[in-house]
Amino acid sequence: MAMERRRGVTWRSFRTATWLGWQIESNWADPFVFAIYSLVKPLSGALILVFMYAVIAKDGLGSPLFPGVFVGNALFIYVPAVLAGISWTIMDDREHYGMLKYVYAAPVNVLAYLIGRGVAKALVATVAVVLTLLLGTLALGVPIRFAAIDWPLVAAALVLGSAMLALFGILLGAVTMVTARHNYGVGEAVAGGLYLLCGVVFPLDTLPPWLAAVGRALPITYWLEAFRRALLGQSAASFAGLSDVALVGIIAGSSVVLAALATVCFRLAERRARAKGLLDMQTMY
Amino acid sequence: MKGPSAWTVFWRTVIGRAYPRIIGAQREKSWVFFEIFLPLLSVTAYVFIYRAVQAPPEFIGFVVLGGAMSAYWLNVLWSMASQLYWEKETGNLELYIVAPTSRMAILLGMALGGVFQTTLRAVAIIAIGTLLFHVPMAATSVPILLGVFVTTLVALYGMGMLLSSLFLLFGREAWHFSNLLQEPVSLVSGFYFPVRALGQVVAAAASILPITLGLDAMRQLLFPAMLGDLRFLSPLVELGILSGLAVVFLFLAHRALAFFETLARREGRLSVRGQ
Amino acid sequence: MVSDSFAIRTEDLRRVFRAKRREAKGEKREVVALDGVSFSVDRGELFGVLGPNGAGKTTTIKILATLLSPTSGRAWVAGLDVTTDSKAVRHHIGMVSGGETSGYGLLTIEENLWMFSQFYGIETNVARKRIQELLAVVGLADRSRTKIYHLSTGMRQKMNFVRGFLTEPEILFLDEPTLGLDVQTAHTLRGFVSGWLAEHRDRTILLTTHAMHEADELCSRVAIIDKGRILACDAPGVLKRELQRDAIFRLRIADLGDARAAVGAQPGVSRFTQTRSDDGLNVDAILTSDGALTGVLGSVQAAGGRLLSLEKREPTLEDVFLHVVGHGFDDEAREGGSE
Repeated sequence: MAMERRRGVTWRSFRTATWLGWQIESNWADPFVFAIYSLVKPLSGALILVFMYAVIAKDGLGSPLFPGVFVGNALFIYVPAVLAGISWTIMDDREHYGMLKYVYAAPVNVLAYLIGRGVAKALVATVAVVLTLLLGTLALGVPIRFAAIDWPLVAAALVLGSAMLALFGILLGAVTMVTARHNYGVGEAVAGGLYLLCGVVFPLDTLPPWLAAVGRALPITYWLEAFRRALLGQSAASFAGLSDVALVGIIAGSSVVLAALATVCFRLAERRARAKGLLDMQTMY
Repeated sequence: MKGPSAWTVFWRTVIGRAYPRIIGAQREKSWVFFEIFLPLLSVTAYVFIYRAVQAPPEFIGFVVLGGAMSAYWLNVLWSMASQLYWEKETGNLELYIVAPTSRMAILLGMALGGVFQTTLRAVAIIAIGTLLFHVPMAATSVPILLGVFVTTLVALYGMGMLLSSLFLLFGREAWHFSNLLQEPVSLVSGFYFPVRALGQVVAAAASILPITLGLDAMRQLLFPAMLGDLRFLSPLVELGILSGLAVVFLFLAHRALAFFETLARREGRLSVRGQ
Repeated sequence: MVSDSFAIRTEDLRRVFRAKRREAKGEKREVVALDGVSFSVDRGELFGVLGPNGAGKTTTIKILATLLSPTSGRAWVAGLDVTTDSKAVRHHIGMVSGGETSGYGLLTIEENLWMFSQFYGIETNVARKRIQELLAVVGLADRSRTKIYHLSTGMRQKMNFVRGFLTEPEILFLDEPTLGLDVQTAHTLRGFVSGWLAEHRDRTILLTTHAMHEADELCSRVAIIDKGRILACDAPGVLKRELQRDAIFRLRIADLGDARAAVGAQPGVSRFTQTRSDDGLNVDAILTSDGALTGVLGSVQAAGGRLLSLEKREPTLEDVFLHVVGHGFDDEAREGGSE
């Protein structure tokens, strides 16, 4: 009975937050602006990469590294979107809408609520990812062939990746709960760091060994590798020895660890926020 | 009743508004991690792209310099232009408007506070980047370099003031607009590669953004040995254009702030929250 | 520039808010917030604008404080046109709103106040001295170094009060300044306002409130506003005296669900309002004469009501409001839209 009620609360929190997130993301923006959002921003990011290669790589876009880098960069669009989408909710609700205290005062599953708020961003990111991949395939010679895509691996990476990124977002939500509002959101800032450590735009082995080791400890690295394999049929030299099943296993396993870590950290942050009265603080400066 | 002169009010306002920026950051040390350390990692990612394709070391210098200057661009975008969105939401904007002071002074205060904070970040990126990646910098003309840097900042923050004026009238729409500018500007201004790579026409069009010419001039002055056919214009010409842009942006900002304030008063949007 | 004899003057002010089609979502797109408002406030006066939520009080203040343009009509503050001379007006005014959340959370009370003082060009030494004095008056002297995100609503409002008075404005707009405050804090702030005005006789305050007793206690004159129109404007005493020819009764009635038929519809009852309490209904009725009471009591009894108490009392501003507006503050669902 209690279990059923808890499940009901979780579903209601998630559903309402998803609806709210969608209203915030879409309702106040002109549809045209909204469309450009999922087009101009990600494509500009991809084109920076294209020009860097075009300017300096010996074979330009024909460099053997380019397809893997392009796909990594395209899929990475999800990372800041979900990380920031979830963690920024804490900041937005606390300091902008003044709603965080009411969320806590209501019979709401806060974790489900946060994940729900991230869904709208993830949907916008999906459009951006697809369009970027299309640009790569149609205009830049990235060899993604529809018939050759490993769909089961794509599905596994999408499902497990969504969970893993959402949990990462909650972990950062915990950090946001106890820190002030700076120029940069924690989500974007951490995503910037992950851009380096996960070997998104260069082979992981290019990093100094100790940094590459950090990259190997991060599930996002394996998640990107899964997509590179599924879409391009090629794997990075660093992971050549890993089978697809092992790759998926690593993502799943690390998601479980992340789930435990995120839950514990979030509860600790909540406790600290309650103890120090941070649920309704205003820290703009 | 004789009050303080307009000049006194202007400068006191600048100092008053810069104060929370400078002090606020010192009170919440977490900004060092989020605003220096993590962005440094993201800049480093671009360094490794060039390393992966065995680019000459100067290109790594381009990225480091671009990363440092991008800090100012992000500061202008998020802590200047869009800041008025937050000020409106918290009710500060009403008080700014009611006060007998210049909007430009308030924005200048924000800018100076922001420049202080961002310079720490930019210096950290340059210092750590140079040390870690052994970037071979050799400034040919320090006075011109300084001139370009300062003029770029004046023009850039002038542009930020111009963008701020939009927020007097608009809310979330302007926020989206800022968001929309972030990556495209990084692309067309050549934050991570010489802007000339985009072609003369695009580079010329992108020169409306002060950071485009500023970066190109600073790269030429710091890495004189290279670039060759990747130079856009000569640094002195770029300095001249930047000076023009600075004047134009500040003038336009002044006019736009007055225009949008009047429009926002008419439309009743100066103090509308939750837009 | 018009004659300087008035601190504030408005002439047929009208303000219409128009929602964009997609924002309106089926609701009406136009809300008339002010509909021909004219009044004047003398220098040295504490003038109240009294009305329920949505009456147009805040809109009036926003126009006078140069935050909003009127759709039509004109207004002058310190003899300056608020539309064409807005910059000059700002040298003469200050503003405090109830429930304000302005300031920067990471700064202390003292720092926030100092920052705002700088926007008025006040020397730091002078500002600091005034801040300390004013904080002492509102009982926040020992909290001056507290960061404002640690403050309670009441403390924050006290800080806002200090901000408004810190610049010693010639004309001060107080918009629902005691909104959401406890009785004690509200009392302290009201005492502060009248004390400040007594000390600074050349200053003017325009106060908007929906608290009748606040207006009664503080204001030399009040304007009663409802649905964007001023319905009465005079000294509270004068407004109340006008009602003295009527008889005002308060009845407590048990066993009666609604007094509209039993009281409101009776001959000789010009206005009435009812509120529910634990033991029945509290009914305030304005009768054209004492004689009408017999009929009222008879009909209450006939309707099954039991009279618990009956009191004839002096008119209050609340009665004046009831008399001129035709309903009490809470009797009617207010129309939405910006005030």
